[in-house]
Amino acid sequence: MAYVKWGFILTFWTVVGAFLHYTLPQTDIVRVVNTYEERQELGDWTRIFWATPDDQSQNLISRDVQFIQTVRANGRPMVYRNEDTGWGWPPYFKFDTANLYTEAADAISTAAEPRWYALRHYGWRNEFLSSFPNAVSLRPIEGPDVRIIPWLNIVILTLLAAAFYAIWVRWRRFRRARIDPVLEDIGEGFDAAGDAVAEKRGRLSRWLGSRRSK
Amino acid sequence: MLGLARLVIILLVALTIVYISLSLYSRSVRRRKLEAEWAEEGRTGDRDAFVREGLEDYDGSLRRKLILGVYVVPLALIALIIYLVNFA
Repeated sequence: MAYVKWGFILTFWTVVGAFLHYTLPQTDIVRVVNTYEERQELGDWTRIFWATPDDQSQNLISRDVQFIQTVRANGRPMVYRNEDTGWGWPPYFKFDTANLYTEAADAISTAAEPRWYALRHYGWRNEFLSSFPNAVSLRPIEGPDVRIIPWLNIVILTLLAAAFYAIWVRWRRFRRARIDPVLEDIGEGFDAAGDAVAEKRGRLSRWLGSRRSK
Repeated sequence: MLGLARLVIILLVALTIVYISLSLYSRSVRRRKLEAEWAEEGRTGDRDAFVREGLEDYDGSLRRKLILGVYVVPLALIALIIYLVNFA
């Protein structure tokens, strides 16, 4: 029973953690290499890794998506998609995709003369599922070693932890006051019933025993 | 534009639920406080009249209007995000 309980708790927190990791913004230090557009098939379940920039795109099974190719400060490649999130989820309210595409094209630099940018994005890169993080903003920085403090994530996660704690405390208080006494009552009822059954069986077996001995 | 309509409707429903629960809760807290105050002040006069008067004062108070922040804060936040993401 304890394993099942911990399995549930672990699954719940894994899902919450994955959801936050996907949705909250992260900043990479990159050098933009190129930009391109490619037609994407959106017909299967991996649709969840693409945005829904407007109402028509909900019904499309393929459309052109903009991409920003970069090399990160650690030398590894990273490709971002560039899509409007519109009024939908996640709530970035990004409408300036075309502007960001222009900025990215303007930011292209070579390995010999790199220009470093902080690229804010959300989402996951997965080669097997062909999922790409969605770029949200691009700003120039001094060099590849700049330290970026994620203030927004600190604030959001702190508020979220406070909310979870507040709910948890109230739930515990509620359980102690309302549910535990009822469960104890039920437990006592079961015990009483068990005692009664044991007593009856005792009498029955005694009676049987008395018959057998004759 | 359907996306915007969807967002507005969902937000309106959710925030209205929060607003109504919060105002009912706040009023009940005020009522409890008034009743305690009446008991402390030596139980003079009619209890119901005292509580009713106190609640009428509460209805016109700034504290009650502050609950409207339930609507104002999220909408201001959305406006701020839109500005920062697209125009800053």
